[in-house]
Amino acid sequence: MKKIFIDEQYCIGCRLCEIYCQVKHSKSKKILKAFREDQPGTLARVLVEEIGSNSFAIQCRHCEDAPCTGACISGAMAKNENTGVVICDEEKCVGCWSCIMVCPYGVIKRDIKSKKVASKCDLCFDEEEPVCVKNCPNEALKIKEI
Amino acid sequence: MKAFSASGSAKGMNIKMVKNKNILNTDYLIIGNSAAGLSAAENIRKNDKNSPITVLTKEKYSNYSKPLTTYYLAGRLEPGNLYFKKSNFYEENNIDLKTNQNVVSIKSSDNLAITEQGNQYLYNKLLIASGGRPIIPEIRVIDKTGKTLSLDEAMSSVKGIFTLTTLDDAIMIRKYINEYSIKTASILGGGLIGLKAAEALLGLHLNINIVELSDKLLSASFDETASGILIEAIKKSGSSIYCGQTIEEIYTENNSINSFKLSNGRKIPSDLLILAVGVLPDTGYLKNSGIKTDAGIITDSRMKTSIDNIYAAGDIVKSHDVLSGSDKNMAIWPIAVKQGEVAGSNMSGIDTAYPGGFLMNSVEILGMPMISLGQSSIEYDDKNKDLKVYKSHDTDRKIYRKIVVRQNRAVGAILIGAIERAGIYWGLINNNVDVSEIGENIVKEDFGLIQLPADYRKHLVVGEGIEV
Repeated sequence: MKKIFIDEQYCIGCRLCEIYCQVKHSKSKKILKAFREDQPGTLARVLVEEIGSNSFAIQCRHCEDAPCTGACISGAMAKNENTGVVICDEEKCVGCWSCIMVCPYGVIKRDIKSKKVASKCDLCFDEEEPVCVKNCPNEALKIKEI
Repeated sequence: MKAFSASGSAKGMNIKMVKNKNILNTDYLIIGNSAAGLSAAENIRKNDKNSPITVLTKEKYSNYSKPLTTYYLAGRLEPGNLYFKKSNFYEENNIDLKTNQNVVSIKSSDNLAITEQGNQYLYNKLLIASGGRPIIPEIRVIDKTGKTLSLDEAMSSVKGIFTLTTLDDAIMIRKYINEYSIKTASILGGGLIGLKAAEALLGLHLNINIVELSDKLLSASFDETASGILIEAIKKSGSSIYCGQTIEEIYTENNSINSFKLSNGRKIPSDLLILAVGVLPDTGYLKNSGIKTDAGIITDSRMKTSIDNIYAAGDIVKSHDVLSGSDKNMAIWPIAVKQGEVAGSNMSGIDTAYPGGFLMNSVEILGMPMISLGQSSIEYDDKNKDLKVYKSHDTDRKIYRKIVVRQNRAVGAILIGAIERAGIYWGLINNNVDVSEIGENIVKEDFGLIQLPADYRKHLVVGEGIEV
């Protein structure tokens, strides 16, 4: 499967990955609307951590043995056996946050803007390349087949 | 792999009938159709594409998630939406599900499981994943003439007293509320099931009483502050909470509950009572099976019982607690899934060890998300002088965070209100990471991977398979 690789030393903390992710997963797909008008709003599924000059972006690692899928009580969080992508079926999710409890990367968010569901990276499965990778100006995020 | 086979030719067939029509032959027999049973079945099928797998459940339903039954009770989900494996799961994995099959005994010398319905299942390998049963406390049930029953006896004859562990329980409770226009309901037990039941019934606009023996709610995992936040929210919702109390006597009229007496003598009118005191491994039917039990089935690290071709997983097992080092019953979903996976792998020839686990819970009650991990209720005191306990409490925003560190290792956490990134703590506990250099930053709301020890962060962020 494809995985996003993180290169801490190239990250400049610009947070463009967060912005493009949020727009990509918004209703309108337009930057101004996504941030100002869309109802319900959406969340970025990638997050940048930063202390001083040190920063990196992180999103779901689509773990081989993903703890979130084993903790999910509704069957919403599941790994696609063919693509390896871990997806939360937002229709099935009941918002119990068991996935948040066991994600060692802390990259599942509680989306209470829309309907209280767990929100996470879907690896932009409908794009050629995840938008965070595509729009990273310094190649701190890369996608590779492994 | 080909399991050793009693019939010699069962491979590739779903169920083979031998001897007489009531004996059904299968390779893998799984008792239990919930988290542990189905993750085992799924894993067996990954490793063994053809051998018959049969799953028995005493219930009439295909799979449903037991933790979701309170969502049904609250009217948030319909029974048809409680499944956690899609309806084509059985067909896709070639698993034969037998509903309404209540196993009453196991003849391990003959590899037979016998059901109340008169069927016998001949297996090569057996997994016991049939779960727990609700505790029925000893309470006298007294009618107007003074006739007294034990609560156990009254469960089948007196109306309005329920347990809440299955979908049928929840369906009966909802039916009872509608049929008798119930206005006041009481819940014995301020644990997870009790509180979820209370929240569900609040949503149905009932008056709620919660009776809890301990002086705290969620006493197994919450400390005084966390419980206090919860108590305040529940009281604000209009419910009454009686902590440090239990029910001494239940009074009935016309064969239905109408009130009960607390241990302090106070009498409380109530026309519905839910018993949510806890669950215990339901090992009664294993009595003469030869399988070793001690408050739960004893297994080795492969989830194998004292009998060679019998495995066990989930709420019926006495599990290894990695934090205390002792074995105890830990009836939670993620442990059941993991143990099921491990049992399934070993049963189908892939040697896998269960490393043990620890208690944890995530729940949202009255709009407040709450997560507890590991040894979260303990405090620094004379008995726990090797602890460092970090706390932050924002009373305005109703945010409480507590991280318990023992000998430089995180061993417990409580997060209320701000739960984002809770799993980082799970990872620290699970991986036994030295957190000494993080100091008090560990409890802060903006705590993240970037504050983790460089080695562990590298392992996570640029770890194997992620590194550029």
